[in-house]
Amino acid sequence: MTEPGQYSIPKGGVMISPKESSILLNREPRFEDTFCSLQAIPRLPKGMLKETKDAIAYAKKFNDEVIRPLALDIDRQTYADPEYLPWDLVKKVNEWGFYTMFIPRLFGGQGINMPASSYVVEELASACVGIANVVGVHYLGVIGVMGSWNSALTNKIFRDVAEGQRTGNPCLISLAITEPGAGTDVEEVELIDKGRVSCYAQKVKGGYIVNGSKVFISMGHVSTWCCLIAYTDLKKPSDNTITFAVKTGTKGFSFGKHEDKMGQRCCPASELIFEDCFISDENVLSNSKEIPPSKTRNVREIVEQYIQYAVGVTRPAVGAFGTGVARGAYETALKFASETEVDGKLLINHEWAQIMLADMYKNVVIGRLSYIEANYSNGLPGGIYDILQMKPMYYYLKYVPKVFLDLFVSPFLKLKFMNRIFFKLYVDGQSVEEQRRCSGWSSLAKVVGTDMGMKNCQMALELMGQAGLRHENGAEKIMRDAKLLQIYEGTNQLNRINLFANLIGRSIPQAKAFEE
Amino acid sequence: MLATIKCELKSFEDLAHSFAAKELTVNREENDRYPFGPFFDATLAKAYEVGLLGTILPEECGGIGQGMNALCIILDNLSAADASLGGIIFTNALSQEIILSAGCKDLLTGITGQATDAPSSLIACQSFCNAAEIKTQLMAVKNKDSYILNGTAEYVVLGGLAGHALVPAHIKEQEGYSFFLIDLKGKGITKSEPVFSLGLHSCPAVDVKLTEVKGTIIGRETEGSKYFDQASDRMHAAVAAMQCGIMKGSFQEALSYSQERLQGGWEIINWSGLRMLLAQMAMHVKIAEMVVSEAALAVEQHEPEWNICTRAAALHLSELACKLTTDGIQILGGYGYMKDYGQEKRFRDAKQVQALLGLAPMRKLGLISAIVKK
Repeated sequence: MTEPGQYSIPKGGVMISPKESSILLNREPRFEDTFCSLQAIPRLPKGMLKETKDAIAYAKKFNDEVIRPLALDIDRQTYADPEYLPWDLVKKVNEWGFYTMFIPRLFGGQGINMPASSYVVEELASACVGIANVVGVHYLGVIGVMGSWNSALTNKIFRDVAEGQRTGNPCLISLAITEPGAGTDVEEVELIDKGRVSCYAQKVKGGYIVNGSKVFISMGHVSTWCCLIAYTDLKKPSDNTITFAVKTGTKGFSFGKHEDKMGQRCCPASELIFEDCFISDENVLSNSKEIPPSKTRNVREIVEQYIQYAVGVTRPAVGAFGTGVARGAYETALKFASETEVDGKLLINHEWAQIMLADMYKNVVIGRLSYIEANYSNGLPGGIYDILQMKPMYYYLKYVPKVFLDLFVSPFLKLKFMNRIFFKLYVDGQSVEEQRRCSGWSSLAKVVGTDMGMKNCQMALELMGQAGLRHENGAEKIMRDAKLLQIYEGTNQLNRINLFANLIGRSIPQAKAFEE
Repeated sequence: MLATIKCELKSFEDLAHSFAAKELTVNREENDRYPFGPFFDATLAKAYEVGLLGTILPEECGGIGQGMNALCIILDNLSAADASLGGIIFTNALSQEIILSAGCKDLLTGITGQATDAPSSLIACQSFCNAAEIKTQLMAVKNKDSYILNGTAEYVVLGGLAGHALVPAHIKEQEGYSFFLIDLKGKGITKSEPVFSLGLHSCPAVDVKLTEVKGTIIGRETEGSKYFDQASDRMHAAVAAMQCGIMKGSFQEALSYSQERLQGGWEIINWSGLRMLLAQMAMHVKIAEMVVSEAALAVEQHEPEWNICTRAAALHLSELACKLTTDGIQILGGYGYMKDYGQEKRFRDAKQVQALLGLAPMRKLGLISAIVKK
């Protein structure tokens, strides 16, 4: 007989003890991985809601005033002038404050909560995903820098961004990982040692000499800082990864061509060339050789964790891009259907068209739910947003006067022990299970959002026929733009395998991912 | 290749294949830049010289008098390299088919006889539109033995270069629409700049404004829809052939890239996930080949329900091609998205070709209407 107190809720007369309940909930699909929102929402500070609403409204205004009037013209301009770079656009984005919006106030930014960035990029992407990238890619760099837990350098670079906003000289950060011979390989520690990396950093007195090149680096040409991933031993890159912050103009760092892409043409994909480029020790963001011992992970696993932290944020954001694209396609098709007569009546009054539109609406919602859930996963214990979303921390950072942060907190960031604190919090503070939850959900959100984006583009063009083909009607551009989303931030194939590894294969000991 | 029909028409296959390799593949990226780069006049001229523009035109009209299977073989082979020329051939053939449906061979003989070069031999038309579905914005008024046309014709494919155009117009107080042949070099014609479009960049369209333009009626008044449907029944096979070619091109490019590109220490073709994508593409290419050859044969032999075969073929292969060309990019990763390879162009072209002959969902519904009528 069960002792009083050992059982929780009676169900139809059958008693379940807390221990049994915990075992049952830990079975696949595990409760903790499945209902992220249910667990996360009660923990969120209320202020986040208002803040998020304001940010979305701001993005809608930006769409009306900047993106919609410009998007098609800029796209056309990139065909007429293959050398086009979006300087004017970057200036506008900078004026509107989008480049500091999600940088924590601690580092001189506006400190809008990070998950709100995905709602904002969905909004922007619904008007033009190319321009949404001109805004959003910068945050790829922000995450790359911040994820190094190098508080001094992070503080310096982020304050440059804030200064850029103040002076009207935009200061953006790009993230350089992909190499000519290695795309998917550099996204996964499991693959990187078999890959063909070539960006080599050789230790010299006072710094490193870097040689090699990077390709498809979004916004490379127009960024001021570059978060560069290089390797101190090309034979074993997984244990020898080094991350630098390199400033444009550094001797030995130059730009090659920018790619002639099918879409997202306002956002250049640059080639970065490093020829005997000296980068001083001060500009090392992180070095896997100097990673302090951790109780939970070896060096290779810490590098993997670093990548997973970064893509844990950026992949849901790409899912939000995809959702935005799905919405843009849906909205364009809806407008067309509401205004165009086919076979004697408005398209919108054909039952088959209503079903298609409902499907497109559904695709938008599915995309959104997926990235929202990934955001919630990142807000649960062990997620990257967890600490910043704790109520005392959130309100402290939100309401403490900026001057106080700048004068009394910021100087501490320069001290080495701060790096140790961040390291403890974020490296040892995340269990392997939590890392898997975040990584799996981020891949899921990326795949779902971007696939929904593509689906809706195809449907919109089917619905619009000849009108959809014309550049000035916008639909064809959305489709050209959309395809890239299934490729970058890890192809959707890689992300499916990552989803398998983290949320499926983990509980099956004989399952091996990335090892064919 | 197109298994059932290849033997007797091998020469067309060879012609189209070598033409594609020599003229289209090498300049694909450059030709795709139009209207922001030059138009491929020289290539079009060569296509005219070797007879690619008059494949299905009867010999008495100055063509080579071949059937739908020859046209399909040519479009299939050309489109594997670059579907734009296929789009030109298709549009011109559609105009010819509509005119032939209406029994106006003499008009075609006249145009071919007077043509001095490729552009002047071409007849532009709205090949992406079924005029019965949308309200035509052209009005025609009878004036003695001819008609005077006013209004705008949108997206007239080849309108910027062809000598003549076939346009649908509404005659006052009459139901339906009628087709008219107009001289694009004549008075009262105002053309827009080339419409910048998703795909088939070298098969451009323009909007044409007509002010008091003299038009020659094609066949009888108000029977435009009938002629279009008859031509469309046949030309759906040609749409299927273009999609088949695009699919082949995409598959070939993906297959060769996957045998060269290394990832995770070996050629990417060795990863079974990617191999599965390739397998699916191979499967769809083979299905496309079979479907096209059967559809073309059905046309030629007037098999029962031949028009349902052609329409089903075009609709199905368009869906397959849009899916397959997406994977075709995916296999090349970031490189597939760049203009250096042909994959992104094929992806755009497949979607553009899907829109030929009118709204795809309406054509699907038309299939059922055709079945129910029988």
